Amino acid sequence: MATVVPTTLEVAEELQIVGGDQLPEQVTLWQDAWRRLTRNRMAVIGMVIIGFFLVTAVVSFVWTPYDTWRQALGITYSGPSLAHPLGLDDYGRDILSRVMGGAGIALSVGVGASLVASAIGIILGLLAGFYRGKVDVLISLLINISYGVPDLLIALILVVLIGRGIQNIILAISITAWLGMARLVRGQTLALREREFVEAARSIGTKNLKILSRHILPNALGPIVVQATYLVPAAIIFEAFLSLLGLGVPPPAPSWGRMAVEGYKAIQIAPHIVLAPCVALSLTVLAFNWLGDGLRDAIDPRMRR
Amino acid sequence: MNLTTEFGNAAGTVRAVDGISFEMDPGETLGIVGESGSGKSMTALSILNLVPEPGRISGGQILVNNQDVVSMTSSELLEYRGGDVAMIFQDPMTSLNPVLRVGFQIEEAMRAHSRFDKRQAKERVIPLLQRVRIPSPQQRAKDYPHQFSGGMRQRAMIAMGLANEPSLLIADEPTTALDVTVQAQILELLKDLNRELGTAIILISHNVAVISSLCTRVMVMYAGRVVESGPTRQVFDHPEHPYTWSLLRSVPRVDERRHERLISIEGMPPDLSRLPSGCKFHPRCHFKVDRCSHEEPPLAEVAAEQEARCWVLMRNVSSQAQALKT
Amino acid sequence: MFPRREVTRGTLVYAFQRLVLITFTAVVVSSIVFIGVHQLPGNAFASEHRATAGTEAALLHHYHLDLPWPQQYVLWLEGLAHGDLGESLVNLGTQITPLLLREVKVSVTLGLAAVLVTIGVGMSLGVLAAIRQNTWVDYTASTAAVIGYSVPSFVWAFLLILLTVSGFYAWTGGAIYEDIGWGKIEQIPVPALALGLPYAAIVARLTRASMLEVIRQDYVRTAWAKGLSARVVILRHALRNALIPVATILGPLVTGIITGSVVIEYLFGIPGLGQEFVTSILSRDYNIVIGVFTFYAALVGLANLTVDLLYPLLDPRIRY
Repeated sequence: MATVVPTTLEVAEELQIVGGDQLPEQVTLWQDAWRRLTRNRMAVIGMVIIGFFLVTAVVSFVWTPYDTWRQALGITYSGPSLAHPLGLDDYGRDILSRVMGGAGIALSVGVGASLVASAIGIILGLLAGFYRGKVDVLISLLINISYGVPDLLIALILVVLIGRGIQNIILAISITAWLGMARLVRGQTLALREREFVEAARSIGTKNLKILSRHILPNALGPIVVQATYLVPAAIIFEAFLSLLGLGVPPPAPSWGRMAVEGYKAIQIAPHIVLAPCVALSLTVLAFNWLGDGLRDAIDPRMRR
Repeated sequence: MNLTTEFGNAAGTVRAVDGISFEMDPGETLGIVGESGSGKSMTALSILNLVPEPGRISGGQILVNNQDVVSMTSSELLEYRGGDVAMIFQDPMTSLNPVLRVGFQIEEAMRAHSRFDKRQAKERVIPLLQRVRIPSPQQRAKDYPHQFSGGMRQRAMIAMGLANEPSLLIADEPTTALDVTVQAQILELLKDLNRELGTAIILISHNVAVISSLCTRVMVMYAGRVVESGPTRQVFDHPEHPYTWSLLRSVPRVDERRHERLISIEGMPPDLSRLPSGCKFHPRCHFKVDRCSHEEPPLAEVAAEQEARCWVLMRNVSSQAQALKT
Repeated sequence: MFPRREVTRGTLVYAFQRLVLITFTAVVVSSIVFIGVHQLPGNAFASEHRATAGTEAALLHHYHLDLPWPQQYVLWLEGLAHGDLGESLVNLGTQITPLLLREVKVSVTLGLAAVLVTIGVGMSLGVLAAIRQNTWVDYTASTAAVIGYSVPSFVWAFLLILLTVSGFYAWTGGAIYEDIGWGKIEQIPVPALALGLPYAAIVARLTRASMLEVIRQDYVRTAWAKGLSARVVILRHALRNALIPVATILGPLVTGIITGSVVIEYLFGIPGLGQEFVTSILSRDYNIVIGVFTFYAALVGLANLTVDLLYPLLDPRIRY
C-alpha cells in the first residue's frame, strides 16, 4: 500500500486583518484546499477520469450494450467493429460491456475496501493513540507484525478460507489494509492530543468521546482523506492480483484483472482483448493517484497561498 | 592581496546590494554591520560568486589578487573558492555534512585544490585542528559533526576554511548560533589566526560588540548600500550616520547611565522592492531634513578615512536633540 | 563513498534480537495458518483423488490427519524445530523443505534483480529530475514516475512480453526468440523489470523530493563555497544525505517486491516460491501452503533486517 507522509493542520477560520481598508476574504481551510485542488491540472484530470468511470459503473449496473456474460455474440477473438467497439473476447463476449461491468466491480471493490479499511483503521487508530495503554500495545504489535508478513499472502489465504464473492474480497482486502490507516491515525492522534486546544477542551470538562470526535478527528481529517484516496487504487490493484491468480471475484463477473489474464493467453493473436482491461485499469489507478497527490498538496499547510 | 569590489547585485528586480565599493589590504580585518536584509550576506556570497538563483551579479567587478571574480570561468572559480577566498557560515550544526567525518571534510577542501597533494592534505588535517585549538585532534578527526559541541564545530569550520591558506576568510555571523562564552573564544581565535597567518578577515554581523572586538575597519550597510565606513574605533566613537548612531545607542553599555526603557530603532527594515525615495533611511530617521526625502545622499568623506552617506551628519545635530531621542 | 564503520556490540545485540523476533513471527504466522487450515471442513483427499475408502484411511493416517488437530500441531512444531516442513499432500513422498529451498533460491535471485532495477533506475531518474528541476526533463521524469507506479506490475509484464518476445521475434524475422521461463540468464531481465518498475517509480519520486530538500541545506552551500566540483557536491554531499529518507521505505519496498513476485512468477512460469504458493493453494496442498508461508515470513523478516542493518551505513547518527 502506498506510503503517505502525514501533516497536521488546524481547523480554524483564517482571519487576516490587514491595516487599511482592504480585508482579504475569509477563507476556511477546506475552501482554500478545494481552490488549490481545482487549480492542480493533474488532479482535475484525475477527477474527470474517475467521474467518467463512476458514471460508467453506475450505468453498467442497469444497462450494458450486451450482457456481460453472454457468449458467442459473433466470431470469437474478433477485433473492434461497429457493433462491438472493443471487439469480442475468447468466448465471443462483448468486451465493451465487460469493461463497463469491470468498472463497477473495480470501483465497488476499491471504494468499498477503502471505506471499510479506513473505518476500522480510524477507530482503532484513535483509540490506540488517545487512550494508549493495552489497546495501544496490542495495535502497535499488530502493526509491527504486519510489516513482517506480505499482505497479498494473507489476503489469498483469507479468500480461500472465507470464499470468493465481492463482499468477501472487500473484507479480505480491508483486513490487510486497515493497519496502514490505523498507523497514520494513531500517529496523528498522538501528536494532536498534546496540543493546547485539546488541553483547553479537557479543562472545561469535555468528555473524551467529544474530544475525539470534535477536536482530534477533524484535525486529522486531511491526511486521512489523502490516505483513503490512495487506498482505492491499491485495493483495485490488489483485486486484480487476486483475479490474476484465479482467486478474485468469481466468473463470469468481468473483473478487469480476470479479463486481463484471460486475454493474456491470446496475446499474440488478439492483443485487443488484454489491452482494453489493462488500459482501463491503469487509467483508473492513475486517476486516483493524481487525485491523491493533488489532495495531499492541497492540504499541505506549507504551500498555502 | 587586494580586494576591490563594486557591484550592483540584483535579485530579480530587487537590488539586494546596490553599488557597493570597497578595498581591502592584505591581513586587514573588516567588519560589515547591518540588520537582516541589509545585503551583508549577499555581499559575502557575491565575493565568492555564489549568489543563489534567481539572483545574479548584475554589474561591477571583484578583483582579488588582480583577477576579476565576476568574469572567471567555472574551473577558475572552483580553484578560487576555498582557495584564494574561503567562507564560513552562521550555523555550524547545519553547515557541516552530517554523514561525513570531520577530518574527511577538511581533507576534501584541500584535495579539491592544487595547492597540496593527496599526502600533504591528509597530513595537514590534524595540525589544522590543533591550530584551531580542538583538543585530541587525532580522535576528533575521525568523528562526525554530531559528536562535536557547537563551539568545536565552528572551530572545525574555521579549520576547513583556512585549510588552503586563503588570502581572505569571510565569516558570516560566525558567533550568532553560539553561547556567549563560546562566542568570545571564537573571536579570540579569529584574532589570533589573523595575527599568526596574516589572513584577511571579513566579519559579518548584526552585533556591534562582536565587530568592535575583532575588526579594525567597519562598513555599515543599510538597504543594500554602504551608509558609513571607516576605522572601527573612530566610527563607533563618532558615528556620523543616524543609523549607525541608533545602532550604537541600542546596545546597552556598562558605562552608561541606565535608561528606563530599551532603546530600539523604530520601524522596520525597508521592503527592497518598494524602497523609499531619497535617502533610504529617512522614514526611520529622527534627524532628517526636507532634502532627505527626495534626494539620496552620496557616500562622502566626513573625516579622515571615514565616509558617511548623509545630508545631515550627527555632528551637526545638537546634543539636546540627541538626548531627546534617547 | 561509504566510510568504514565498526560493527559494534550494540549492532550484534540488535541483530540478534531481530532474528529472535523474526523466528517468533514466522512461527506465529504459520501457526495461525496451520490452525486456520485445519478448521476447514472435509479433508484434502475425499474429493480430489476419489480414492477408495481403504486408501483414503491409509493416506489420512500417513499424514497424521486422523489425529485431533492440536496433536497435529505439536507434531508439526517438532518437525519445524528440525527444519522439517513435512510432506506434500498432493505428491506423496515429496519432502517440502528441500523443495522450497530450491524455489526460494529462484525467488531470491529474481527479487535481487528487481531490487537492482528499482534502486538503479529509480535513483538515477530521481536525481536527474531534481537537478533539472522544472525543466522538461523534470516534468517528463515525474510524469513517467506516476505512470510507472500506477500501471500494475502485471500490465508491465504483458507489455514487456509483447515487446521482447513477440517484438524481437517479429523485428528480427524469427532470429531471436526467447521463451519466457527460467533457466537462462537472459530470462532474468524481463521479469525483473516488470517486477521492479513500479517500485522504481516510487523510489524516483522519493529521491527527487529528498534531493530537492537536501540541495537547499546549509552544508551543500558550504560544499559549493569550498570550491568542490558539481559532481562531487551532488553525489558525495547531496545524494548521500538524500538517500536517508529513501532508505526508510526500503523495508516496505522489499516486502512489496516479495509480494509482487507471486504474480510475476506465475505469469512468467518461474519456478519460485510465489508460483509454488499459488499452485499449492489451488490444489489444496495445505502442507505446502503452510510451509511456503513460513518461508515467506522468514524471508520478509530477513530482508527487512538486512535493510535496517544497512541504515547506519548511510546515517552515522544512527547506531544500535
